[in-house]
Amino acid sequence: MGNKLFDINQITLKQPLITQEEVFQLIATIAVEQGIASDPDEVIDGLLKREQESTTGFQDGFVIPHAQVDAIKRPAIIVVSSSVGIEWNALDGKPATFFIALLIPKQEAGTTHIQALASISRMLIHEEKREALAHAENKTTVMEELAGAFA
Amino acid sequence: MANIKIVAATGCPTGIAHTFMAEEALKKAAKKLGVEIKVETHGQVGVENELTKGDIAKADGVIIAADKDVYAYRFHGKPTVEVTVAKGIHEAEQLIQTIIDGKATVFKAKKSNTTEEDETALQKSNHSLAHSIYKHLMNGVSHMLPFVVGGGVLIALSFLFGIHSADPNHESYNPIAATLKDIGGLGFQMMVPILAAFIAESIAKRPGMVVGFIGGLIASNGGAGFLGGIAAGFLGGFTIVLLGKLLEKMPKSLNGLKSIFLYPLIGILLVGVIMTLLVEPMTAINEGMMSFLSNFQNANPVLLGVIVGAMSAFDMGGPVNKAAYVTGTALLGEGNYYFMAGVSAACITPPLITAFATVFFKKYFNQAERNAGGVNFILGSTHITEGAIPFAAKNPIVVIPILMIGSSVSAILTYIMNIEVPAPHGGFLVLPVVTGAIQWVIAILIGSLVGAFIYGFYKKRSYLKDQQTKGEEKDGQQIV
Repeated sequence: MGNKLFDINQITLKQPLITQEEVFQLIATIAVEQGIASDPDEVIDGLLKREQESTTGFQDGFVIPHAQVDAIKRPAIIVVSSSVGIEWNALDGKPATFFIALLIPKQEAGTTHIQALASISRMLIHEEKREALAHAENKTTVMEELAGAFA
Repeated sequence: MANIKIVAATGCPTGIAHTFMAEEALKKAAKKLGVEIKVETHGQVGVENELTKGDIAKADGVIIAADKDVYAYRFHGKPTVEVTVAKGIHEAEQLIQTIIDGKATVFKAKKSNTTEEDETALQKSNHSLAHSIYKHLMNGVSHMLPFVVGGGVLIALSFLFGIHSADPNHESYNPIAATLKDIGGLGFQMMVPILAAFIAESIAKRPGMVVGFIGGLIASNGGAGFLGGIAAGFLGGFTIVLLGKLLEKMPKSLNGLKSIFLYPLIGILLVGVIMTLLVEPMTAINEGMMSFLSNFQNANPVLLGVIVGAMSAFDMGGPVNKAAYVTGTALLGEGNYYFMAGVSAACITPPLITAFATVFFKKYFNQAERNAGGVNFILGSTHITEGAIPFAAKNPIVVIPILMIGSSVSAILTYIMNIEVPAPHGGFLVLPVVTGAIQWVIAILIGSLVGAFIYGFYKKRSYLKDQQTKGEEKDGQQIV
């Protein structure tokens, strides 16, 4: 796709995660491994803070955790899915399984990136897209589905 | 049907995800229902896809789905539905249907083409009277509280040097204590004027703020207390709205003159005179209420404890809780330290209930709840009642009454033991200045433990129930 925002290495599916903490931990670890962020703890803190304001849990198990902290060096999307449902206070009360984390640097001047992240949020409104993502068997399919958001 | 045009504005505090989800949900719903829609987004990059005056003028209805100010005053005279951003995402179709059915309420503002901010802001109005009164009141209260907390805690700190340490004629006089008390006192004195100013500001923006402030000062100086402040706030705000209507016919070229000269001059004069006349009867009511409450506290501490406890835990940081809390701070200003002791105890208890419950009934809570429970020890100890909200939100009908019971127990014990808390906030941090500190902590602990055990047993019961149905649920999750 040539888009810097996401990469196949930023997708991890069907992980044996059972708590919010573990989800954030994994997101932060991936972020550091992929050179998106410098400090995993700061990323986790940022995600937690946002969660405390109001839940990012959406519908049918989809969650869009997001953070904007100094430690994040470039805007990126990290996708994680869990093999079991995790309680997330989601708007529809269903347990969370599919996490699309939006990481934004503190000094994000380029509005194009924010707009790209916004298109991911828009995409999730559509039931057929949610289904396609939830049923995606492998990372490539997830990549393709996400890329569709920018079309 | 196909000709219906709708405009919408969405926004959320972070402006990254929900703003745009609401936008998309509305667009999708509009498409499905066959109506035309234009959605303006207030995201992190600012306002996008901005609605022009033409868009708004041509629209058959307006949908506001936002948790932040999206300049709603532009939509005066339009059938409008105003909801949270979450509802915009989940109930997009119903919102649009409301407009299609013509069931939306018309924004009750007058026509005006001026772009002057102060001017147009005057037309900001709301469809539900009760909701708008609440909104104005809360705007005042939320601006007032930092003054009360900062000032009140400084005053309480001065008591650490001895209760008379700020009195230059007393043997325990200490200049540091006197300074702390003076500075804190200034914060406290601002309480009523700020309350009035920001109630009025919520009604009529900046011109309202000016007039409300003056009205609040008159109420405060005259001894009409915070009831007087509330009256001054609403009086100030509506005076400016009325003035705006009266001056409507003035040529537009004089708009600048209006906001810088006419509104303040006429507004201050009117409100000043009315408040001066009102201040005496208001003071009588205020004093009557204060003595009523303090009598209560001697005559029937149990009933007072129940009322204060139930109010404080009812909505945790919401209007009912704030009503009890504001009364407590107002009485502090009058030198009554008993009332606040019960309010503080009742505000500290709910988070502690959840905290103790997650410790004693660990296995019935999930990891996230256990973490939140741990944090609630800190939140509770520092008088941040809101910590209990996540727990209550999951099952308010059961959890809130439990919290109310616990808070009531804490408050009753506090009143029975005649504990005095001179600080309006700070939780256990202000223990050194509490008269009867140990009894107070015990009262709160008892209330919290009572609540924690009821809550814990409730959790246990619903957990066991869940176990039975778990089999089916598991299958459901696998499919997702």
